[in-house]
Amino acid sequence: MTSEATAARTVTLEVFRYHPERDEEPSFQSYEVPYREEWVVLDALNWLKDEVDGTLSYRWSCRMGVCGSCGMMVNGLPRLTCNAFLREFLPGPIRVEPLRGFPVERDMVTVLDDFMGKLTEVKPWIIREQEQPVEEGEYRQTPSQLADFKQFSMCINCMLCYAACPVYEHEEEFIGPAALALAQRYNLDSRDQGNEQRQRLIWSDEGIWDCTFVGECSAVCPKNVDPAGAIQQAKVEATNSFFLSFLPFTPPGMGR
Amino acid sequence: MPGPLPRRKSNAWWNRGWPYRIILLRELSAVAVAGYMVLLLLLVCNVRGGEGAFADHLEVLQSPLLWLVHAIILGFAQLHTTTWFRLVPKAMPLKLGGRRVPDELIVAGAFGGWLAVSAVVLVIFLVVA
Ligand code: SF4
Ligand code: FES
Repeated sequence: MTSEATAARTVTLEVFRYHPERDEEPSFQSYEVPYREEWVVLDALNWLKDEVDGTLSYRWSCRMGVCGSCGMMVNGLPRLTCNAFLREFLPGPIRVEPLRGFPVERDMVTVLDDFMGKLTEVKPWIIREQEQPVEEGEYRQTPSQLADFKQFSMCINCMLCYAACPVYEHEEEFIGPAALALAQRYNLDSRDQGNEQRQRLIWSDEGIWDCTFVGECSAVCPKNVDPAGAIQQAKVEATNSFFLSFLPFTPPGMGR
Repeated sequence: MPGPLPRRKSNAWWNRGWPYRIILLRELSAVAVAGYMVLLLLLVCNVRGGEGAFADHLEVLQSPLLWLVHAIILGFAQLHTTTWFRLVPKAMPLKLGGRRVPDELIVAGAFGGWLAVSAVVLVIFLVVA
């Protein structure tokens, strides 16, 4: 902590402002907010909204890194603002912007329709050719089978990975990191039989092949989901399957 | 009333910090590797052209410019190898006895293999030389 910031006990927030009914262009507005050691950027925004300008708009809910709604760009990097302490950015200023790569509804509120649509398209749920009767009990899974996909199931849909991805920034059609990681999460689940249904989309150009393995999605993910890993593994599978399709038989263990 | 602000893109994405710059250099390293292939092909052509052509080729290789070119290519080849080796566990996770092998171990294995192969090449070179 610098002595300046401690003495003044304030820090400057440069906040992205855009209200479509009022503004032609977005702009940045500077505010002095109280500095508290235990405050995160979201606390500072809440203070601003309560004390200075009630029209400031942004999303949040849980304040504990679980709901995934408070993602914004903080000093140029996608962060969960409930998880970004003011003290990390001293002496400031701290620049707060909406997540990159999405249209902006108002201030830090982005339009999520594109992501939501893609999420549905990859069918992120367990697909069964035929449900097994209830009497037969639950679908069982070994710890090893669980380990195959568990990491990819931790996603909270915060979309930080989209904001970090230059491919998504330039190609809106790209299905993107989180949705592809979730597709892989279900494809790798031993209880799921929907691999083929997802394949056409996942293995298309807008799917895994648009990814150039920049890998920043995994670097910014607050839940260590590693979407870049999920996508590369799907590429390996797709490539194997392409070459294996030339064989007159299915090698053992490759018939998924 | 105007609607939402459309999504914006910037061609300067690669300049948003070192991780992005290194990725751009990593992609560029493929060009350097391809360039080296061209140099190798020229060598093959000159070997085919007989002793004189080969001697000329060796002389051209001595020029400071080509030393520089080789140094740059070597740098890029190192970058290419190290960056991709570090990504191996992401693309090819390994499981042993139902558990995931730690990423660091896979990366260490890749680097170990690289060292071993380099050592073999060095031994062959020393023996032949
Ligand atoms: S993969 Fe990570 S960064 Fe992307 S939406 Fe899920 S939790 Fe957020
Ligand atoms: S408010 Fe829920 S993740 Fe930040």
